[in-house]
Amino acid sequence: MSTDVRPPSANERIKSESRFLRGTIADGLTRGETGSLADDDQQLTKFHGIYLQDDRDLRPERGRQKMEKAFIFMARLRVPGGVLTPQQWLAAERVARERGNGTLRLTTRQTIQFHGIIKSNLRIAIQGINDAMLDTIAACGDVNRNVTARVNPWQSASHATVAGLARAIGTHLLPKSRAWHEIWIDGEQQVGGEVEDEPIYGRTYMPRKFKIGVALPPDNDVDVFSQDLGFIAIEEGGHIVGYNVVAGGGMGMTHGEPDTFPRTGDVIGFCTPDQAVDVAEKVVTVQRDFGDRSDRKHARLKYTMERMGVAGFRAEVERRLGYALPDARPFVFTSNGDRFGWAQGDNGAWHYTLFVENGRVGAQLPGLHAIAELDIGRFIITPNQNLVLADIPAGRKAEVEALLQSHDLGAAVSGLRRNALACVALPTCGLALAESERYLPDLITRLEHGLEDAGLAQDDITIRMTGCPNGCARPYLSEIGLVGRTPGIYHLYIGGAFDGSRMNKLYRRDVDGDAIVAALTPLFHAYAEQRAAGETFGDFVIRTGYINPTTAGNRFHEDLAPELLA
Amino acid sequence: MLPETAPFPADQIVALDRIISGSSAEQRTWLSGFLAGYQAATTPQPTAVAPPARRVPLTVLFGTESGNAEALADAARKAAGKLGFAARVLDMADATPAQIAGAQNVLVIASTWGEGDPPQRAIDFFSALTAADAPRLDGLRYAVLALGDRAYAKFCETGRIFDERFAALGATRVAERIECDLDYEASAATWIDGALGVLQAEAGEPQAGAVIHVDFARAATEGSAWTRTRPFEAEITERVRLSGSRSTSDTWHVELSLAGSGIEYEPGDSLGFVPKNDPALVDAVLHSSGLSENAQLRAKLLDQYDITTLTREPRREGWQVIDMLEAERRQWSEDELLSQLRPLAPRYYSIASSRKAVPDEAHLLVAAVRYEALGRERKGVASVDVAERRKAADRLRVFLKPNMHFRLPGDADRPIIMIGPGTGVAPFRAFMQERDALGARGRNWLVFGHRNYTHDFLYQLEWQDLLKRGVLTRLDAAFSRDQPEKHYVQHALWEARHDLHAWVQDGAVVYVCGDANAMAKDVHATLQRILGEHGKDGVAALDALRREGRYLRDVY
Repeated sequence: MSTDVRPPSANERIKSESRFLRGTIADGLTRGETGSLADDDQQLTKFHGIYLQDDRDLRPERGRQKMEKAFIFMARLRVPGGVLTPQQWLAAERVARERGNGTLRLTTRQTIQFHGIIKSNLRIAIQGINDAMLDTIAACGDVNRNVTARVNPWQSASHATVAGLARAIGTHLLPKSRAWHEIWIDGEQQVGGEVEDEPIYGRTYMPRKFKIGVALPPDNDVDVFSQDLGFIAIEEGGHIVGYNVVAGGGMGMTHGEPDTFPRTGDVIGFCTPDQAVDVAEKVVTVQRDFGDRSDRKHARLKYTMERMGVAGFRAEVERRLGYALPDARPFVFTSNGDRFGWAQGDNGAWHYTLFVENGRVGAQLPGLHAIAELDIGRFIITPNQNLVLADIPAGRKAEVEALLQSHDLGAAVSGLRRNALACVALPTCGLALAESERYLPDLITRLEHGLEDAGLAQDDITIRMTGCPNGCARPYLSEIGLVGRTPGIYHLYIGGAFDGSRMNKLYRRDVDGDAIVAALTPLFHAYAEQRAAGETFGDFVIRTGYINPTTAGNRFHEDLAPELLA
Repeated sequence: MLPETAPFPADQIVALDRIISGSSAEQRTWLSGFLAGYQAATTPQPTAVAPPARRVPLTVLFGTESGNAEALADAARKAAGKLGFAARVLDMADATPAQIAGAQNVLVIASTWGEGDPPQRAIDFFSALTAADAPRLDGLRYAVLALGDRAYAKFCETGRIFDERFAALGATRVAERIECDLDYEASAATWIDGALGVLQAEAGEPQAGAVIHVDFARAATEGSAWTRTRPFEAEITERVRLSGSRSTSDTWHVELSLAGSGIEYEPGDSLGFVPKNDPALVDAVLHSSGLSENAQLRAKLLDQYDITTLTREPRREGWQVIDMLEAERRQWSEDELLSQLRPLAPRYYSIASSRKAVPDEAHLLVAAVRYEALGRERKGVASVDVAERRKAADRLRVFLKPNMHFRLPGDADRPIIMIGPGTGVAPFRAFMQERDALGARGRNWLVFGHRNYTHDFLYQLEWQDLLKRGVLTRLDAAFSRDQPEKHYVQHALWEARHDLHAWVQDGAVVYVCGDANAMAKDVHATLQRILGEHGKDGVAALDALRREGRYLRDVY
């Protein structure tokens, strides 16, 4: 396969020596003198859905206090399609309350992150998750991550299909190693752990993380073009007849390295429902074998696609499938956001989409606790960090509505705010260069003044912020993107498509909050005054020449305004 | 080889055994000759003292918690020696009532601890003496010096019970009991002189108890060393808050320069610290007593008087001086107010350093005591003095308080287990610095505990370094507020019980330092449980360990 002569990255050695993801994690958990784990184990826990972090707010004081960094762990659930039972929601809330920082963080991959778990609480937290028939396996690491799926429970049959596909793919691509159970749950070492095998991944797993999502037009809430592998469900006559296959998307890049870039995936063909899992496996194995294992900054499938070419990649996938993929079917997306409030489904049940700012569930926990205690319906996390209270029987709707009211849940917010996404960033994320979740709400408040003046308070405009260029909140697929550079300073991007099909482009380099407001406010006024009927903000700024469109990932850093070429 | 009853600590018996068993016959002969000659050369000649037959035997029996009673007993022995007594000092920890029954003259020096309890190491003796089957003490002559703290309800309770019990068992009281508060030195010295005088004068002629008149205002006899009344002014060279900014506690690491003091402490010793009162509280006291205008009085209250502890009626649960003054709300005279107050007592802190690691320095670990009671914020006098008002380059008034009962084993190869949650970890930092500096090979196991792992892991980086270098063998930590279940050091001990058993089997000395009220009791019970596994008698086993000098506590 690969004839690469460069040395493999350090992570490749760690993976291959890990005895299928065991390392010395179990021993490290017993060491009471430190809240940390051995260096290699810090990489391996990611495969178990667990990140070692530290409270960066406390960093400056720690050395003086003769204490190490304030180490804490983040644990991420594996919830294909984001679907939880009320009992699972209550279990998660309890883990957060008793073992974490008391909040649940809904993520852009439809899962829940627990933050602030110290080492002594980690095993018992994971056991609490396991007791609720959930796990954190492969929620991070060089494996297939949580599979996302369109949240449309009001279309009961098609939602069952797309969520079912997410589950099926997630299960099929789950690592086979028993390490997670051994380390976190039963503590038993399997005799001769080396006899295990990973038939799909092999002992070095993937070159890098791998993300899969399933979309259902006209809604692109999963941002299917941001995924390494996407499936776009094709409905005919009210039934899903198959999926367009999208490959090679990905958000991350590195500041100052133009050969790293975000990329929207390419539609490479069509498959039938019963072929989809197989297609997923074969795409994974092509990336397993052709992905760059030397340079982790170029290890995602998007760079493999660039090297192989779309046609070459498709040919390799088809060779492994043993059949050709027919050409893709037509589809139309209109939005990558959520629609809030109540909706009645095709089977009469009701569904309520709750706005959760930045996905951080804190003050809303008591109200959601009361609703979960009704033990009806399902809790579905959306890829936009919101929550759908799904499948409420018509006869119980009034109860839920009363609880929403009495707990002050679901207050109306502006069009910009309800279409906003922020990653976690400071203080817990080790990669953050600037604030995100703690800052975006205030920035939006400032931007709302200009929007109100322009009469755009209730217009849907997508804005996304991340604290670093790695792109967890998919900032390059929003109409307004903000990517952290240093504390208080961001790159400002505009011109992404409202439906998530086109990336934005750099508009202002290294700007602070004042400069962001100053740059955007005139655009809002211009948009209000000059937009065509139905024209979205992202399309408007391109048509009127404020920014050039990004036509492909490898053009992301091109076509910039002259003053930005520095 | 040496019997267990040999008059040496267990670890010295082991050391002597090793030397003797490894020696040749020739070496042993030489050694016995050397020891005989050494003894002759260092013992005063019999001609220098009164004929043995005429010397009055005296047993100075003490029960100590903090070491004060022991120091007094030692002083009494010396004073008695000068008066011609054949005096010996006996620790209640090593005494039985039967032993006492054979003594003719006994001076009892007993401190009271906590809520009227005898000192921990004296509990066995206390129980045996107050038991129904205690031996009669007919013909024995005695007097009791009781130490206590008027801040507690049952002031000098233990001394009072001893006094009554000796009498009930038939002994003759030769002097009225004296009850001393924290400022005991001068009155205790006077009383001892008087009691010895009575015992000497009336040797063999029992009479009703004499009253010794003590002038409590007399200044303590001052020696050459630094004392509570003549402390050394030690400069603060560093002062660092160890607690994280979100900690629920407020603990400070304080480095003091002892340069020029001549203070030679050993790991396990404490430093006495004479604090200054909170000026805000001084002003409140002056205001409530109508004495705000008295600047001279203000100066006195700042650093000479205990302005929190109520020592006279009216007293009420939780009341301090300010509460009484506020309740009465009237004009006081200066004399009247001062008559209510006792002298400001020093506070003692275990030294957290070794001179072998930091010559001329002593490090202290001070946790600020703050709580609310009766609607008023209360602050620990000394701890908050350090936490809030002292800065680097300020001076603290300090003096050494040795603790002979909390020392590293003489045998550097002997393993030790150190149980020290909170500021109880201070002496163990000293132990580790000492063993590190000495290159001691004995294994070291620290069991630490506090509230929150993230914010309260005192000296964490130092422990990590010691572990990495193999000086510290093992560290177990228990944090009580990191999870819904309370998790304390005793739980960590129980979880590690198999290893703990093994260490004890290997001769480990077990140290406990810290809170006496809850922690030390819970740890004590847990150690009994652990040693009592597999059908053994854990109570007896822990007791045996204590007798061997392998279960040592410094709790407060």
